Parts: sequence; C-alpha cells; structure tokens
Amino acid sequence: MRLSKKALAVLITAAMITSAMTACSSSSSSADASSASSSSTAGSSTADGATADGDRIIAAAKEGKVGNWGLGNEYEIFALLTKYGQENKFISQAFDMDGFDDGSITLASAMTYNELGLVKNSYEGGYKYGDKVGIIDMNDEGVAMLEDNLFCTKEFAKKNPNTVKAFIAASMKGWKYACENPEEAAKIVYEAGSSVSSDHQAYMASEVKKLCETDTKGNKVTDYGKMDEAAMQQTLDLAKKYIKLDDSTAADKLKSLTLDDIRSTSYWEDAMKESFDKPEKTDVSIQLKWLPQAQFMGYFVANAKGYYKDVGLNVNIVSGGGDIGETTAVNNGTVDFGVTWVSNLISANAGGMDLLEIAQVYQRSGLVLVYKK
Amino acid sequence: MSVRSNSKRKNAVQSAILPLAFGAVLVTAWQTGLLHKLLNTDEYVLPYPTRILTIIGENSDKIMENVWASLEVALLGLVFGSILGYLIAVFAAAFTKIGSGSLTIISSFNAIPIVALAPVIINWTKDVSPEAEVRSTVAKVVIVTIVCMASMSVNAYRGLTELPAFSQDLMKTYGAGRITEFAKLRLPNSVPYIFTALRVSVPVSIISALVSEYFAEYVIGVGRQIRENILIAQYSTAWAYIIVACVIGIAMYVLLIAAEALVLKKRR
Amino acid sequence: MKIVRKITGSKLFFTLLWIAALIIIWEVFAYQVEQTKRTPENVLPHLSGVVDSITSDKKINGSQTAFQMVMENAGATLSRAAIGYVIGIALGFILALVMSLSGIVEKIVFPYLMLIQIIPILGMAPIINAITGDIAASRIVIAAILTFYPVAANTLAGFKAVKRESHELMYSYSANKFQLYTKMMIPSCIPYFFTGLKISAPMAITASILVDTLQGGVGLGCLLSQSLKGAMTRYVFWDIVFFSAIIGILSFYLIGIIEKLLCPYKKLEQKGR
Repeated sequence: MRLSKKALAVLITAAMITSAMTACSSSSSSADASSASSSSTAGSSTADGATADGDRIIAAAKEGKVGNWGLGNEYEIFALLTKYGQENKFISQAFDMDGFDDGSITLASAMTYNELGLVKNSYEGGYKYGDKVGIIDMNDEGVAMLEDNLFCTKEFAKKNPNTVKAFIAASMKGWKYACENPEEAAKIVYEAGSSVSSDHQAYMASEVKKLCETDTKGNKVTDYGKMDEAAMQQTLDLAKKYIKLDDSTAADKLKSLTLDDIRSTSYWEDAMKESFDKPEKTDVSIQLKWLPQAQFMGYFVANAKGYYKDVGLNVNIVSGGGDIGETTAVNNGTVDFGVTWVSNLISANAGGMDLLEIAQVYQRSGLVLVYKK
Repeated sequence: MSVRSNSKRKNAVQSAILPLAFGAVLVTAWQTGLLHKLLNTDEYVLPYPTRILTIIGENSDKIMENVWASLEVALLGLVFGSILGYLIAVFAAAFTKIGSGSLTIISSFNAIPIVALAPVIINWTKDVSPEAEVRSTVAKVVIVTIVCMASMSVNAYRGLTELPAFSQDLMKTYGAGRITEFAKLRLPNSVPYIFTALRVSVPVSIISALVSEYFAEYVIGVGRQIRENILIAQYSTAWAYIIVACVIGIAMYVLLIAAEALVLKKRR
Repeated sequence: MKIVRKITGSKLFFTLLWIAALIIIWEVFAYQVEQTKRTPENVLPHLSGVVDSITSDKKINGSQTAFQMVMENAGATLSRAAIGYVIGIALGFILALVMSLSGIVEKIVFPYLMLIQIIPILGMAPIINAITGDIAASRIVIAAILTFYPVAANTLAGFKAVKRESHELMYSYSANKFQLYTKMMIPSCIPYFFTGLKISAPMAITASILVDTLQGGVGLGCLLSQSLKGAMTRYVFWDIVFFSAIIGILSFYLIGIIEKLLCPYKKLEQKGR
C-alpha cells in the first residue's frame, strides 16, 4: 500500500510535469489522476447519520481527516483520539481553514477566538459558515490542557523578583480592564499596529474574555492569572502521556516533572497583594506566542493605559509566531518574559530549559474541533 | 611521469586528510566544550556530539523513515527539475529568439523565496489526490523541481550555445544537419555544464525538500522533524536530524563529484 | 515594416510575449479557482485583485495601507539584505584570496564552506542568535552566510583560471607576490567575481526574507508569514511574492549595470563587437 502510494505520487508528478512541458492544461491530467485514486479509496466513506461527537471523531480518524497544526499544538488532539481508541495521527493543517473548507479535513482544529471566528463569520478572510458548523470542545471532552500563560526563566525570577511581581501586577490589571471592556481592548490592539482586521479583533476579544473568566469545568473565575491546581495537574498528566520525545534523557526528565518544577504561585500571590518593591530591571520585553492580536490584549492594554509605567516598568512587546519560539527566546535571554502554552513549557523544561510559569491567563482550553453540520 | 603521478596522489591524499583532520579538531573542540566558549553558547542550544549520536542511535528506525521520505523528494525533484531544465535549454538553443525570453522567466522563479513558493504550490496541488500522503509528496516534488529547473536551464543553455571556436564551421563542412550538429556537437559540449548545474542544484534540492516539508500536509521528513523539535525546544533531537541532513547532503555531493570524475575522465 | 521586424525580432519582445502568455494562463486558472473555491485569493487570485490591493487606500492595520506596509517592511528587509550581502561579498572575496594563496587552507576550508550551505538555516538560527544576542544582528549574519559561498566559489575559480603563461610573464618581470595579486590576479578574476555577485544578489534577498520568518518584527518575511497565518488579507502575501520576484531580478540586472560601469573589460568587449 505504501509503495503503491509512492508510485502514484511519482506518476502524478511525472504526468503533471509532462503536461506542463507539452503546454497542455495540467488540470485535465490531474483530474484523471484524482479520479483514478479516489476509486481505489472508495468504500471508506463516512457513516451515515453519525451525529454523536464520538462517532464523528472515530469516522474522521479512520479516514485520516483530523487536522491540527502540529509543532506542539497537537497533544489535546492525541488525548482525544486515544479516548476514542484511535491512532494518534493528524494531517498537518495550514494556518488558514482552506483544508476544512474544501473537505480534505473533516475535523479541523480551531481556536475559539481565532479560526472558529473565521469559519463562522463573514468579515474579510471569513468563510461564512455561520451556524452550519458544529464544535467539539476539549474542555467538555475532559482532555483540556491549559494554554496561554506568562513565564520567565527561574534565574530571572530569582534575580529580579520585584520586576517579576510588578510585571504580573500591571499585566493582570491590563487583563482585567481588557476583559471588562473587550471592544475598547480590541481597538487598542488594532491601534498598536496589529494587522488583524478590526472586526475579527473584536470577535477575538469577546472570545478571549470567556477563556480568562471560565475554568475547564465551566465555573466563573474572578482572579485573573490564577493557577488552578487541578487544571495544571491535568495538563501535566496529559503532557506526560502524549508528549513523545525521541531524546531519552529528555523523556526521562519529562516523566519525573512535578508542578513545582514548572510553576511558582508566590510571585502572582504577591503581585495580587501589591506587595513588591522597586523593580530591579526596568526595561523588560515580552515575546508573544503568536502575532500581535487580541489574544494578548491584556499586555497591549496595560501598555496603552500606562499600567506598566505606574509600576516603574518600560515594556517592549515582541511579536511571536516565528521559528525561534518564545521558550527559546526567553531561555537565551533575548526577551525577559514570554507567553506560551503550558504543554510547551513542560516539553522545554524536559529538554533542559529552566523556565517558570508565573501566571496562568487562560483558565480553560481554547482549542476545539470544527465540523460541517 | 612517475614523479608527477606521485605528487598527484600526494595531492589527493592531502585533500582528503586535511579536511578530515580539521573536522576531528572541530569535533574535539565541540565535545570538550571549547567550541561553546568560543561561540558563547551553551550545551543546550549546541548539544555535545556524543549526546546527538546517542539520540541518532536510539531512534535509527524513525530517522531512516524520515530520511527516505526526504531523499525521495529531493532526488525526484532533482531528476524532474534537471530534465525539464535541460529540455527548456534545448528549446531555447533551438529557437534562440523565443527561447531566451523563457530562460529569463524561469530564472525569475528563483527570485521567489521558497517560504512563499512552498505554500502556493501546496495549495495548487490540493486536488491531485484525496490521499494526503500522495498529494503532499507531489507538492514537495514539484517545489524541488521548480527550484532545480532554473540552474540547469541556464547552465545547459550556455553549454549548448557557447561552442568551441570554429566547431560549428567544421560541422557545416561535414554537411551535418541540425540534428547531427545537436547530437555530435552541442550535446557533448553541454555535459560539463550539466555538472556545474548539478553542483548548485544538489545542495539546493535537499534544502528545498526540507523547507517544503515544513508546509506539507502529511507529517514526515527530516526538515519537518527539525522544525517540530526546535519549536518544542528539543534541541538535542533537532541536532540529530540536522546532522542527518548534513550527512545526506555530503553523501549526495560526494556521489555527484564521483560521477563527474567518471564521466569527464572518459571524455579526455 | 523594418521597424516592425526590429521590434518582433528583439529579445525584449519575446520576453514580454512570455510574460503575456503566463498572465493569460494565470488568469484562466484564477477564473477556474474563483468558480470552485470559497476563498479564491488563498489559492490563486486574479492579478487585478493583486494590483487593486497595492493601489487601494484601505488601511490594513491602525495606520497603513497594504502598499505602505509592504514598502516599510521591504525597507527593513532590503537594508538587512544589503548589509548581509556586503559582508558576504567581503568575506567571500577574502576567503577566496586566502584559499588561492594557500592550497592547504583551500583544502581544509572549501568542503566546510559547502557544508555550511547544506545545514538547514533553522538549526543555525538559534545558535547565531545566542552568539549575537540580538535578532536583527543574527538576521544579517545569516543572510551573509547564505550569500558568501557563490562569491567565494566563483572568485576562487577566477584566480584559478589565470593562465600559466600570465604567471610566467609576471615571474619574468620578477614581480613579488603582492604585485602579482594587485596587478594581475585580482584584475583578472573580476569577471568571475561579478558572476558570483550576480548569483548571490537575488539570494541575499530571498535569504533575508527567509530569516525574517524566524521571529516577529519588521520585515517582508514577517509580513508574509503573518498574511499566511490569516492575520491580514492574503493579498499582502501575493504582493510580497510578486515584489520579491521583481526585486530579485532587478538586483541581478543592477549588478550587471554596476559591472558595466566599473569594469574596463566590459567596455572593451562592447567596442570589440
């Protein structure tokens, strides 16, 4: 089977190239090829009337049409697939939803605040599906892992405890304001130079608010940045099970990690009580996990409203989303703080970094799988 | 004569031993941590060779699976790209006026960064097959093909047109037709230029195969593993794959040089 | 009649013909894509759409239109490319000179120069980042590394191509090594040097765009990946694709023009014709 797939790939490429050479339209040849190969895979069609989420997941997994971006974002999907007895495999999803749209992915990963909005809404870049899509929520499925947090290196925290506390205090004040005034927050992010359309930004802010104020069980959270012990533990347990590391040293370390190795609640507690002195380091930078957008509105608001200035900090917000990840940038000292997913911090520490989570901004998982109804 | 061949042998031995010796020094400095001091880096970003080798040893099956996937893409793309590039050069040499324009167009493809080219091609080949593995392979091969095409067409065109002085006149006095002229004069004349092109496109084919894997739907390949591991901060594992990628590159280059020596030697 | 023949016979005419053919093929496919896809601009937009996105005065972020944005980021990327290119050229030339002076150095270094080209950039980036401690500096260094090999290889080939007779002539003048190089070797390798420059000029630009994607900030690569990741209209992506192709080709010709202006042998060649 593997061999025949490869042969098919070679054949198709050769056919495409020959047709390009003879200046024929390449569409005819590729259409032939696709019809030929689709007949060979016929029979594995979706079961009719599969309405329950479980059946839907099993069907998509059997077809190999579950999508995720990979690169450290896939662990919740693995946990979900395992829950339904499926092989831990996914198709690498591009950063748009075209694969979902054209049907090559039937269960596509989406963040509630980003891709889901694009799929549903009709503003620029949107796919206009509206209510015609359904979602499978990781929190409801019991496989939620915590995402956007705030972290620095242990060394930095030890050397600059007051900077860390002041930064947490001002940032959480920013998050509080942003969640209370999502529309204004969206506008602030947009004006700070984000290129995400302002409509999408507003949608994003309203969804991010939900993630900051609701925990994995659906209860309301009022303390911004609180580290929920149970949710953290669930994240660590799932991480240990589903993060597969080829490096045996790192894999062993991963198994031995405890919550105390990855987070410290004391800085956040002091910050909330506002018990800190003058910051040791006043010029600090924070690298985001992704492009500047309302996903990180708390920091932009804290900057724009002068909360950082109030505690004596001068903050530079660095865009993420490049190949030098936020964990690497913080670890090598290019930036002081970072926003990452807890699972990524765990694998980084397993690999030998010494990072410390100092606040947990998102209280529940923002990852969902979307399907067409 | 014997003195000369002796010195030639000495030369060849030197050009093998010297780089190897330098490599040994480098690896020693690396393993002892001297290199880390010189580069002001730590054993985290640049792990020790022993650790990297351990990881390669422990995961040899998985690594080989990824190596074959990448090698297949690089080689197929190289072959398709080179053939296509050569044919374009033949076309351009046969119809100089129309053809030279096409060469400009082809080489302008090379001015598009591969990080932009890869996602475009992957989108364009989406309908090729419902199997993600098949359409990903097709997309990756097409990307490598495009990248390898330009250097072959430009070099082969030179080989087909920059002929030794008076050789064309000689062919004319023999009363040779266009086809004979092509087969007996232009084609042989282009052989060294083919190798010049390959020297450029062999390393490029590997690099572009690795980068195309970043964007492909089906998750496999040395490049994908490097990126995956760097992003989840597993530098030791990433380095294992980087070393593997280097070995692939060196192996293919050595094979090319050997082939070149063999082919060109016969001609002398 | 004569003019017509002159026009249709020129190289430029056929290049334009090719471009026209490409545009027609592109538009045919774009039309097809438009009929079948929900977001055609992600796959293959109409060229008119791309042009519209450049000329449109609709603001993409808080303050800039697509064109302003591409230009600002292009400025950052191209200046990094230029600095990296100049460093790469200097490095390449010096290395070629040293390799030509000492056969031993050549034998030691040359295989490793090759190797550096093969190492995936992603592996080098964090290390260079750690060495320089600054992302902007590492971007320049990587662009330099990616561009110096063609210069070094071609210049070395130029040094080697100097005929034995010329060597003997200089020897009979009892020229010392310094004179040998300044009077003969360096001038005679200039055409090869420029070949290297021409090859590496577009490379410097594509390399600079590639290293932009390593981290956020200002740069065409950053903009490109942001657009791909849906952070802004996909047309910005297409703008950059076309922009980089055009700039890449222009850079090739620009070096050709500089060569013509600077180098006496080019003038000679033209007179000779």
